[in-house]
Amino acid sequence: MVRAALATKRRIGQGPRTGAAYIPAMSVVAGSLLSALPIVSVSGWYPDFGFLVLLGWRLLRADAWPAWWAAPLGFANDILTGAPIGMSVALWTGVMIVMDLVDRRTIWRDYWIEWALAALLILAAETMEWWLAALSGAGFAFRSILPPVLVSTLAFPIVAWLVARLDRWRLGR
Amino acid sequence: MAAPRPGWSRRAQYGLFFSFMALIAGLVVGLVLLTLSLVAPSRYEIVRGAAIDVTAPVTGGLRAVVDTVKGMVSGAGNYWDAAHQNEQLKRDRKAMVRQIIRARAVLLENQQLKATLQLREHSHGTVATGRIVGSSFSSPRRFAILSAGSREGVRIGMPVRSAEGLIGRIIDTGATASRVLLISDRSNIVPARLLRNGQPVISQGRGDGTVDLRPLEVGRNPFKPGDIVVTSGTGGLYPPLVPIARVVRLDDDGAIARPIADPSSASFALVEQSYEPEAIQTEAAEPGGKR
Repeated sequence: MVRAALATKRRIGQGPRTGAAYIPAMSVVAGSLLSALPIVSVSGWYPDFGFLVLLGWRLLRADAWPAWWAAPLGFANDILTGAPIGMSVALWTGVMIVMDLVDRRTIWRDYWIEWALAALLILAAETMEWWLAALSGAGFAFRSILPPVLVSTLAFPIVAWLVARLDRWRLGR
Repeated sequence: MAAPRPGWSRRAQYGLFFSFMALIAGLVVGLVLLTLSLVAPSRYEIVRGAAIDVTAPVTGGLRAVVDTVKGMVSGAGNYWDAAHQNEQLKRDRKAMVRQIIRARAVLLENQQLKATLQLREHSHGTVATGRIVGSSFSSPRRFAILSAGSREGVRIGMPVRSAEGLIGRIIDTGATASRVLLISDRSNIVPARLLRNGQPVISQGRGDGTVDLRPLEVGRNPFKPGDIVVTSGTGGLYPPLVPIARVVRLDDDGAIARPIADPSSASFALVEQSYEPEAIQTEAAEPGGKR
C-alpha cells in the first residue's frame, strides 16, 4: 500500500515530447494568430494574446527559449496583428531584459508578485502602444487605455494556467 | 543573465554571453524597424500585404461559421414575437413607401436641375466587393480586414463603404485581402456635413467605435441628437453624400456619433474608386501621413 502511494504515476519511458524545445515559441505564435479570429471589435479591448503567452512563459521559467528569440517572435506578432512593424520586436525583447533583471533582484516570488509583475509589464506595453499611436497621428486620452489594461491583467492568470498545463504536457509530466 | 553561471565550461559561458548580445541586438533592430515603420510606413507594404493574405482566408472561413451560429440565434429570436414584429414591419413599410415616392420626386428634380447647371460629376464605380472578416482587436487603432485585395483592383487610399454608409479607407493591400482604416480610428478625419442643413463639419474617430463631430465654423452647437452626417466630398478622398454617423450625444462644442455602417454586422463592403485620384497621390507622397 505504502509503496503504491509513493509510486509516481509516471510511466517508464515517458519523457519530453518531440520538439518540446520549440513548443513554447510555437504557442506564442499561436497566441498571435488568435488575431485571425473573425472578431470585429469596435473598442479594441481584447488582450494581445501573443504578448500574454510570452509573459506567461517567461514568468514560469527563464529557459523556455533563448532570450533573443523574443525578437523574431515579436516580428511575427507585428505582421500577424497589424501593429507597426518593430513595436513587438522592441517591446518583447525589452520584456526579456527587464525579466532578467527582475530575476536577479527578487529573492522570492509567489503568484501575487508574478501577477503584479505581469500587470506592470502589460501597463508598460499598452502605454508604449498608446504613445506610438499618438506619434502616428492617432493620439487619444491616456485614460482610454485603462480598460484594455484591466482586461489583459484579468486574462493573465488564465493564460498563465494554460501555459503551465502546456509546460507539463510538453515535458511529459 | 538570469540563468545561473553554467559552471566552468567556457563554451557554455560564451553561449550565454552571445545570447545576451543577440538580445541587445534584437532590441536595437526592433527600435530601428519601429522608427522606419513610423517614418516611412510604405516601406513595409509588401510584407504586411503578404501577412494579410495568409491570415485572411482563415478569418474568412471562421467568419462564415460565426455568422451561421449568430443567424440561428437571432432567427430563433425573430420567431419569438413574429406577430408583433410583422405588424411593426407593415407599418414601417407603409411609411417607407411614402418616403420613397417623395425621394423619387426629389431625385427627378435634382437630375433636371443638374442638367440645367451642366454639373459634371466623376463616375465612381465599385472596384470590388468583399466581406469584413476581422479587425484589430487588441490595439487602440481601429483596422478591419477586407476579403478583397489588389488582384481585384483594390489600391491603397480607396474608400470603403457598405450599403448603409461609410466604413473607411484602404491602407494596406495584399493580393487577396486588404486592411481598412475604419472611420472610428483616431487618425481618420472625414470632411462631412449635416444632412439637415448642409453645415460643414469634421468627423474624427474616437478609437472606441464612435466618432467625434466638430462644426467647422465656431459658434452655436449645430447638432441635435439623431442628426445624420454625410460625407461632403471635400478633400477628394471620399465620395460625397455617403452617410457616416448618427448623433447620439452632444458635448460642449460638438457631438459624439455612432457610425451608421457597423463593420461587425455589415455583410458586404464595397471598395469604390477614389473620388479625386489626384488627392490620393498627394496624400501618398506626404510621408507618414497614413498610419
